[in-house]
Amino acid sequence: MDLTFSAEENEFRDELRQWLAENHPGDEPRGDDDTTFEFRKDWQRSLYDGGWAAVQWPQEYGGRDATLMQSAIFFEEVGRTRAPLPANVLGLLLAGPTIMAWGTDEQKERYLTPILSADEIWCQGFSEPEAGSDLASVKTMAKRDGDDWVVTGQKVWTSGAQYAKWCLLVARTDPEAPKHKGLSYFLLDMDQPGVQVRPLVQITGEAEFNELFIEEARIPHENMLGGEGDGWNVALTTLMNERSGLGFFLQIRLRQLLDQLVEEAVRNGKIKDPVIAEAIGEIEARTEVTRLTAYRGLSTIEKYGQPGPEGSLTKWLWSETNQMLVQLAADVVGPEALSADSKWAYELLRARGNTLEGGTTEILKNIIAERVLGLPRK
Amino acid sequence: MRFDFTDDQQEIKRTAKEMLASRSTLELVRSAAESKAYDPDLWKELCDLGWPGVAISEEYGGGGLGVVELAGLLEEGGYALAGSPLLATTACGAAIQEAGSEQQRETWLPRLATGEATGTLAIAGELAPDAAEADVIVLIESDRSGARLLAGDQASVSAVETIDPTRRYGIVTAEESAGEEMPGDPEAALAIGALITSAELVGICQRSLDVTLEYVKDRKQFGRPVGSFQAVQHKCARMLFQTEAARSATYFAAWAADADRDRLIEGASLAKATASEAGVEVTGSAIQAHGGIGFTWEADIHWFFKRAQLDAAYLDGTKPHRRRLAALAARKVTSPA
Ligand SMILES: Cc1cc2nc3c(=O)[nH]c(=O)nc-3n(C[C@H](O)[C@H](O)[C@H](O)COP(=O)(O)OP(=O)(O)OC[C@H]3O[C@@H](n4cnc5c(N)ncnc54)[C@H](O)[C@@H]3O)c2cc1C
Repeated sequence: MDLTFSAEENEFRDELRQWLAENHPGDEPRGDDDTTFEFRKDWQRSLYDGGWAAVQWPQEYGGRDATLMQSAIFFEEVGRTRAPLPANVLGLLLAGPTIMAWGTDEQKERYLTPILSADEIWCQGFSEPEAGSDLASVKTMAKRDGDDWVVTGQKVWTSGAQYAKWCLLVARTDPEAPKHKGLSYFLLDMDQPGVQVRPLVQITGEAEFNELFIEEARIPHENMLGGEGDGWNVALTTLMNERSGLGFFLQIRLRQLLDQLVEEAVRNGKIKDPVIAEAIGEIEARTEVTRLTAYRGLSTIEKYGQPGPEGSLTKWLWSETNQMLVQLAADVVGPEALSADSKWAYELLRARGNTLEGGTTEILKNIIAERVLGLPRK
Repeated sequence: MRFDFTDDQQEIKRTAKEMLASRSTLELVRSAAESKAYDPDLWKELCDLGWPGVAISEEYGGGGLGVVELAGLLEEGGYALAGSPLLATTACGAAIQEAGSEQQRETWLPRLATGEATGTLAIAGELAPDAAEADVIVLIESDRSGARLLAGDQASVSAVETIDPTRRYGIVTAEESAGEEMPGDPEAALAIGALITSAELVGICQRSLDVTLEYVKDRKQFGRPVGSFQAVQHKCARMLFQTEAARSATYFAAWAADADRDRLIEGASLAKATASEAGVEVTGSAIQAHGGIGFTWEADIHWFFKRAQLDAAYLDGTKPHRRRLAALAARKVTSPA
């Protein structure tokens, strides 16, 4: 174990700091979803141009081949300077790693760079009305027709589908096979008449996620990721990346939000209230622990190439801590925290989704019990 | 001892539940929330039934029943998530009855009892229900040191749109010279408001639990109802545990308000500390047990979460009330009765 920085790592940090100082886009504009999205897209473009969009990716796809420590430094600096999120989060954290793990050379060549540059936005078409926690029971059907697959079905809760060019799609290709074995994984082009996106309004009042109605959409066979019948395993790669990778990414947001809460508590004097101080201390500890656990997860990825089921711990820890934090804001910030359209109120409501998206906390606990601890299944 | 409603009280509560089940359906709650306007006929109906005056004594034109009856009504109001100035107006009436001068009571209580006037109870600088529309406001200083009575036009109220569109809110402030001082104890003025808000939270918890149970029995994943998974069962069991804890504390406080005045303030803090925490947690669990559906605007469960957040914060949340309980506990030890 060595948690100090080498000269080379410090150099990396200095270069990044300087780049951020020159290119930081400032705070996100308050406005509708589209304005925010465009802002994040421009920001990702500028990260890409600077070579910073995904430092840990291979150089040939626009990354820097960064070491674990360097990517940790990257995320710390982004957090410290409160830089916004990039637009193509699901592309960077889900599509990219899944394609790197399972894609052919042609697929990597074709898809990875536009993910980094945000020229092509991605979404995740896993969940269906009848298949949420029980993902393996998806009903969306893909039938072979010459060189194409013809897909019909319905997806739900598809975040960012309104902006997406591509969708990571899990569909059933063999209805006769046992449920985990009959699935295949596709890269679906959203720009076609067979794909309709209908926004779903969330408890926050905005429509971040959508329903997808897929009616005889066509997917060329070359857009299958992994082999026929590999869908479940490919989907697991995506999910493991979602739980550890996204958790890693989002702990930076947690840090940013906590810093803002502490600032507020110092400003209005509530930090002197021992009850508030204790609660902030608890969240401070949990936030740090989330960060450290996420870093250890990065080490595992470096060692084994892919995140393991332990990543579920990061996601659980992150989502629960975030909910505690935004709830505490109601005590610390006062009336503004509950006012419509305030940042804190948005976070309070949005955080309720954290323990659902990417696998509910109950499912994560099942996975930890069964796959990490090896406890017997029912 | 009988820790339960009397037959008469039971009957009042049952009638209220029935009435609200048809007059404040979730469809109506939704349309009121989305149009940001109360149903004026509902308020009129509640007034005709005498709800605003239930706990105001007969000498001031009220129904002369007690806080127990009032708490029962507000619990049902919470269960139905009814949109009306009932909580605000009864909290105001109770505060005037507790802490007002004889003349202040004579001036305002008869009008509040019929619902001809509406009121609110507000802590300066904090969110209070139905403040901008109130004809009369009991304003508690932010350090809780005193209470003042203001006619609506003597206060400055900024209406605030909150995350809870099922109810109207505002923040009240006033010039130091505005209105009249109230001679009574501001703590007592706050106590009944806090305990009836707890009663509303109990109703919100109960409804969230009922709606959730129905959902998890019906929703199937892995070929069985999600309610058959132990994780979901334990979550629901905890929801009940918290709801019942809030209920015990709230009923005790309501009884103390009517029958054991020395314990009113303690009871109110006990109720509000417990119910605020329960409200926030139980409604959050309800969303979780619904899965993705629970996170949509289209499902109704979020209205309960949002109202619970506002009720939890109103007249102080769990932390300050626990602090008060600790102080009271310390006082008991150092100066035994
Ligand atoms: C904000 C948000 C964004 C999302 N974005 C996407 C996206 O981009 N793409 C996508 O494909 N999906 C997305 N989802 C969907 C998400 O993955 C599902 O909501 C989640 O997997 C749960 O499925 P469900 O909604 O059908 O709930 P259900 O599976 O019906 O669950 C209902 C309840 O039962 C519990 N439960 C179910 N099975 C078990 C079990 N075996 N043991 C214990 N408890 C159990 C659950 O934990 C939950 O509390 C998103 C969801 C949200 C809230």
